[in-house]
Amino acid sequence: MALIEVKDLVKKYKISQKKHGVVGYIKHLIHPKYKEVTAVNNISFNIEEGELVGYIGENGAGKSTTIKMLTGLLTPTSGKIEVNGIVPNEKRIQNNKQIGAVFGQKTQLWWDLPVIESFKLIKKMYDLSDKEYEENLEKFTKILDLKDLLDKQVKNLSLGQKMRCEIAATFLHNPKVVYLDEPTIGLDILVKENIRKFIKDINKEQKTTIILTTHDLKDIEEVCDRIILIDKGNIIYDGEKENFKNEYGKHIIAEFIIENKSKNITLETSEEEFEVIEESENSIKIKFNHDKLTVMDVVKSVSNYCEILDMHIQEEGLEEILKEIYRGEIIND
Amino acid sequence: MIKKILAIAKQETSENLYYRFDLALYIFNFIIQITVYVFIWLAVYKNGNQILGMSFEQITTYYILVVSLSPIIDWGINETLGNSIREGEILKELLNPISFFCYYFGIRIGEMIEALIVGVITFFICSLLFGVLPPSGIINFLIFLVVICLAVIVVYFFEIIIGMIAFYTNSVWGIEIFKRSILNIFSGMIAPITLFPEFLQKIANLLPFKDCIYTPISIYFGELSNIEILQVILKQCIWIVALYIIAKIIFNKAVKNITINGG
Repeated sequence: MALIEVKDLVKKYKISQKKHGVVGYIKHLIHPKYKEVTAVNNISFNIEEGELVGYIGENGAGKSTTIKMLTGLLTPTSGKIEVNGIVPNEKRIQNNKQIGAVFGQKTQLWWDLPVIESFKLIKKMYDLSDKEYEENLEKFTKILDLKDLLDKQVKNLSLGQKMRCEIAATFLHNPKVVYLDEPTIGLDILVKENIRKFIKDINKEQKTTIILTTHDLKDIEEVCDRIILIDKGNIIYDGEKENFKNEYGKHIIAEFIIENKSKNITLETSEEEFEVIEESENSIKIKFNHDKLTVMDVVKSVSNYCEILDMHIQEEGLEEILKEIYRGEIIND
Repeated sequence: MIKKILAIAKQETSENLYYRFDLALYIFNFIIQITVYVFIWLAVYKNGNQILGMSFEQITTYYILVVSLSPIIDWGINETLGNSIREGEILKELLNPISFFCYYFGIRIGEMIEALIVGVITFFICSLLFGVLPPSGIINFLIFLVVICLAVIVVYFFEIIIGMIAFYTNSVWGIEIFKRSILNIFSGMIAPITLFPEFLQKIANLLPFKDCIYTPISIYFGELSNIEILQVILKQCIWIVALYIIAKIIFNKAVKNITINGG
């Protein structure tokens, strides 16, 4: 049995449709109209213990809604969720004991108190033994570099410092599952790197199952093994990260440094062959499908119009692939 | 469970005590309030030394007790809870490994400790300034404390219910003002309830607020018989159970239907 089982999950929201102005407002009071919006549309997946899953999708694709249902904060319209054998929204407290969660900028730290006081309260609330607490605190302090922060008041911390403390607080009680909803939003590169390393280390050492949503695809690229991609409430990809790239990332971008250009290459070549992204007097950037053309084919056709001095080849990254998916350029069958 | 509630209370208290200057201002404010009451009643008592069976010393003691007790009863957590709902902080609170009501009860006790500090200091300063009658007996004083503890639980569930209105209206400001004025009138904070017209007294007897301020002070003076005291305690227990059930029903319903603000 998988640790997290999600089957045919649906969440519909009722959104009240208020009209503008005073008259519209009064009309709404008397006869409210609602529109039903489907945020999550019949999704199913299983997650095994110790997996590190990147849950990605555009804004409004249904990511946060899914996470909130998994944590038991929202009740599904229909479908089934089980986390370690517990239905989260029915036994919320029991579920809370085995999970941890970070929701963007919301903090569980006590604003006016030193960070360590919040940690001590977590220790008491989750009945941690002194040994567990000391061990985790020591380990987290080391990886996340919290030594100088523990005695500072939370309100005096910078965003990055606060997030590092927040992450530590979330993992302190050895949760089985951790949901990280955009933990790296607004952070600088060094802090992001720090947090990624922490997530990877803890996942490896404690076998903590982690579900991560983010818009920073470097997070996914560096941390996750598996991707679940959701779009308009539907899962459109679920599988290994590497397979994802192979399946969708068929394009290669080649950049040439050229001279003695005879003709405008964009106009001379047809779009079916390859796509010219950028063209100038001494450089050209071309995107082509690797299934249809080889690099040599492209070199040959470009050399018809100019002399090639140098070239640089780049495989499409996760970001480009996702951009194409979001724009609807890649149609999933 | 009690250990956890106390841990939360301790945390809340240390957070509140961070604003010590606020505490000093509260105390100062309360002393002025009591001074005003004392001078008003001094004017009233010029023409006689007994009004509704209370001497001037009694009425002074009454107001010193009222003002010192008032923060314990009427500060509460409805605003904290309302804001937490409006700003989406409730998300984190619902993820705690203890129940929502227990968590907020911890917060309530934390607030009460702050209120207690303010109340006790106000009481001592004012008893030095204006003089105060001692409780009618040690047992009466202990019962006085018990009734106040029960009163805190009663108002706690009231506050929870009012705070939860924010699930539906997104703001608790209006309803809180309403709660405060009801509490002020029917608890006896403005004037002893025996001064009210009869129909208001009847309403006051039905509501639980009278037993938050007026009744405990009557017990302090030793004006209630043992049977009456038992009745009061029984009434408070019934209110606690009833309000708990109402709060629970609203909470379960609200949590099922909430859309949490802020993403």
